[in-house]
Amino acid sequence: MSSFLGAIYRVLKKDLQIERRTKQVTTTVAVFALLVVLTFAFSFVQTLQSAALLGRGALWVAFVFSGTFGVTKTIELEDRNGALDGLLIAPIDRSAIYLGKVLSTTVFIFAVSLLTLGATSVFLGYSPSMSTAAAIVGVLLVSAVGFSAIGVVVSILTFRSGLDELALPVLLVPLVVPLLLAGVELTTALESGAPLGGWLRLLTLYAGIVLLAGVATFEYVVEE
Amino acid sequence: MRSGDDPVKADAVPPAIEVADVTKSYGHFTAVERLSFTVERGSTLGLFGPNGAGKTTLLRMLAGLTRPTEGTISVDGVALAPDDYTTYRTVGVVTHETMVYDELTARENLRFHAGLHGVDDPAARCESVLETVGLSHRGSDRPGEFSHGLRKRLSLARALLHDPEVLLLDEPYTGLDQRSVADLETVLDGFDDRTVVLTTHDLERGVERCSRALVVDRGRIEADVDLDESGAASFESTYRRAIGVAEPETSEAVR
Repeated sequence: MSSFLGAIYRVLKKDLQIERRTKQVTTTVAVFALLVVLTFAFSFVQTLQSAALLGRGALWVAFVFSGTFGVTKTIELEDRNGALDGLLIAPIDRSAIYLGKVLSTTVFIFAVSLLTLGATSVFLGYSPSMSTAAAIVGVLLVSAVGFSAIGVVVSILTFRSGLDELALPVLLVPLVVPLLLAGVELTTALESGAPLGGWLRLLTLYAGIVLLAGVATFEYVVEE
Repeated sequence: MRSGDDPVKADAVPPAIEVADVTKSYGHFTAVERLSFTVERGSTLGLFGPNGAGKTTLLRMLAGLTRPTEGTISVDGVALAPDDYTTYRTVGVVTHETMVYDELTARENLRFHAGLHGVDDPAARCESVLETVGLSHRGSDRPGEFSHGLRKRLSLARALLHDPEVLLLDEPYTGLDQRSVADLETVLDGFDDRTVVLTTHDLERGVERCSRALVVDRGRIEADVDLDESGAASFESTYRRAIGVAEPETSEAVR
């Protein structure tokens, strides 16, 4: 068990070390997310009076696009120089590699989501109360875990099967629809004080199921 | 005499590698078909054959990177199983790809892989393998700045980190200049006690390095040659016959 957790930690630490040095994922993804928020600001701020509607719209659109971009970048790292093979020949459980990649991707997507939340406040005047903002951060975190759990599997499949990079969103987006739906509905419910029940269950259950499915199938996903 | 040729020793312990009736198919395409052979401990086996013969697929199966469609592969007497990762401890792999990260230094890459392989005292071991491959002075540099030869050496250092019993080398000489080849040869000369399986198109160098050769074509073994008994010229002739290539005309005949 300790070697399993150790392997997850090593993969995560390696990704964070590379990111700290290159800032490749967070910088490019953050710029991308910021562009989405600015586009919303330029396009809708004059016509749409509800800052909350604009804010959560921009937040989740940016989440999908930057998440897709982020997951591509983190897996691209393993595709270069056959680095993934280097992980696969190590005497470690392959699901530890998967969980390490999911964790690092979650960190990147979540960090950019927090930045996006801040940007919606600055550029779109979206200002939920502190308690609502904290709850939205929680929703973003669970969504980022679910998104990464699906994204790592789908992007490795895309890279290993030699499919075009453009195939990734086509395969990924339909699978993350339940996460997005729950995320958007939960954000709305949190602002209005409506009950969260069903959407919260959908979000947590779906994120948990896709994570477990990823653990169970990763062995076969990396097979040639 | 190489240790792998010792019949008493071979009887006492299982062979380093045992490939039993292995087939690998990708849909309708069969890359490797019903291959069976053993590799004795401490010997060097060369896999020769034209492009697309199935050599790399076979090597990737030996490394545990690809699962056979049928048949079993045992390393050190233990069958490679996808869910038993401990078997991979005994194998070191060098392929066309370096399997390292250009964003980390050579030393950081080795430390990372040493951690994954559960190497004791990883810092000392990394320095040791860097010295073995002659990269001690470049340990703080990133592989992205390395020449092809230096990248190959780093790849070899990574493969040696956990002191594997079996070393798998896929086209180790490809793309290397003469000096890099000589450096690589010097490193490989220090591996007398290890079992080495290598693929190469360089017949001359392969014959010099290996004690036994398998000629593979269209996924099948077409010839199994004891290179200690067969000379280079004889092997080249056997190789050409096995893959169905005509003997080149001699200069006398041309004249």
